[in-house]
Amino acid sequence: MRKHSLLFFLMIALFISTLSNANAESDPKKWPLVKEAFFAQRQMADAPFITFVAPRRAESGAQVPLEIAIDQTQADANAIKTLYLLVDSNPIPLTATYHLTDKLGKFKLATRIRMEMDSYIRAVGETADGKLFLASVEIRAAGGCGGTVDGDENAIRAAAGKIKMNVESPVKFGDATSATFIIKHPMRTGLQRDLVSQGFVPAFYIQKAAFTYNNEPVMNVDFGVGTSEDPYLRFNFIPSAPGVLAVKAVDNDGKEFSHQTEVKN
Amino acid sequence: MLKKILLGITALSISHAALAAPLNMESLGNGVYVHHGVHEDMSEGYHADICNVSFIVGSKGIAVIDTGGSLKTGQALHEAIRQVSSLPILYVINTHVHPDHIFGNAAFKQDKATFVGHEKLPDAMERRRDTYLRINQQWLGEAFAGSEIVKPSLLVKTTANLDLGDRTLLLTAYPTAHTNTDLTVFDNKSATLWTGDLLFVERTPSIDGDIKGWLAVINELKTNDAEFAIPGHSSSLKNANWKEQLNNEERYLWTLLNDIRASIKKGEVMEKAMGTAAASERSYWQLFDIVNRRNVNNIYPALEWE
Repeated sequence: MRKHSLLFFLMIALFISTLSNANAESDPKKWPLVKEAFFAQRQMADAPFITFVAPRRAESGAQVPLEIAIDQTQADANAIKTLYLLVDSNPIPLTATYHLTDKLGKFKLATRIRMEMDSYIRAVGETADGKLFLASVEIRAAGGCGGTVDGDENAIRAAAGKIKMNVESPVKFGDATSATFIIKHPMRTGLQRDLVSQGFVPAFYIQKAAFTYNNEPVMNVDFGVGTSEDPYLRFNFIPSAPGVLAVKAVDNDGKEFSHQTEVKN
Repeated sequence: MLKKILLGITALSISHAALAAPLNMESLGNGVYVHHGVHEDMSEGYHADICNVSFIVGSKGIAVIDTGGSLKTGQALHEAIRQVSSLPILYVINTHVHPDHIFGNAAFKQDKATFVGHEKLPDAMERRRDTYLRINQQWLGEAFAGSEIVKPSLLVKTTANLDLGDRTLLLTAYPTAHTNTDLTVFDNKSATLWTGDLLFVERTPSIDGDIKGWLAVINELKTNDAEFAIPGHSSSLKNANWKEQLNNEERYLWTLLNDIRASIKKGEVMEKAMGTAAASERSYWQLFDIVNRRNVNNIYPALEWE
């Protein structure tokens, strides 16, 4: 009996090592589990109108540039109101949720994400009446979720929340205009090791950013820790006339940060 | 049945160790030996033997500088040492945290050698442990068997001396440059400086620390009066003028930094700069397309805050 269990163990070990070699490429078997966890028992249709610009192989798992576009406006019958960005193979798959408005025109957004290993990236669009649409892209990457360089904690805390926001000029009023937003923040995942405590560094990350133009909502973003350190967003919006693009952000300690940029002729 | 299997496994692993063919070493005279790894990127097709690994034989014992990227490479280095000398292996020095330089450490545990590194090396190893073990296992498979993180117990904060009897090694730790764990080794007897990856020769310099910090360290190294230098990677040390090589590296780093700054100033995006920054340096370096793009990806986000 004992012999058998040990043999069995050896076989399992062999099987697992074969499996982990097979994992060298994105594992398509993870999506059904992720899908079930976030969208239990809901139907999803393919979304050819949602497209990505992404590297086939990411140069740095810590800052993977990713662009998502939706070829429809809020006037479309199946207009996407909410876009979920998920990374199948990350320890925490939900990377960001974008809440869209008609001020965005045709949605186009670039961001930078963390990837721990080769994975499929999923953009799931949800309509006002709860229909779901799925688009996927595969990216090969490694090691983006670890905290690799230490730093002075007081300096990191003091700098956290600093915002830079830019609107491209000349501005085309009534037309798609590109805005860039960066917020200084370590975006600690809660899964990074700490040698001093022999445990894990607590999660510390930007949770939300709400963008308005002349006090009207443009986009709300819920960030997950899969969004890279110093969260970066570049997105199109449609300023109808000169005004102020403003953002209010909050981190998981409840600390609020705000910034505004004047958009002139 | 089980006994037979276990015996078989033990026999296999013993023959494995004994069969580790010694690394091919270049003797530089004066008791200094270097093995040159090949220029491969660390990804699929990587063979855990890409950096320079060295040993120095003193009258009291031996110091090893970097151990390669796997237990297997470390064992082959150990074999090479034993072909030259039976003196005790006293010190195993890691020039920084990168996996191609540290994963042979375990081959020297049996020697009761003192492992030596930058004061920040144990923490850096701990932070990177899970990822390094997983991706190296993925790249190397069976060839990574037995490799483990072995942390230093002798830590260098500024400088330290290691006594090998008839020669002394001066170790110097640096602020964040190539990585946050860079350490150089100077051997007074041969007037040789091991730079680790603070000096890249042939292979495109890769940045995993702070490009501005690195440029500052290069300025410091320019005043170092070592006669010879052994960089972290190179195919040969023949005709090496290390100050000239240092200038080449400095030129690449400045070009990259200036091109990225210009890109940010113009309001370009990182993805574009990944294809254009430092393009004028392309013909001078190995693995340029892979490493240069990665460098831009690594440092662009921080430079956006200048």
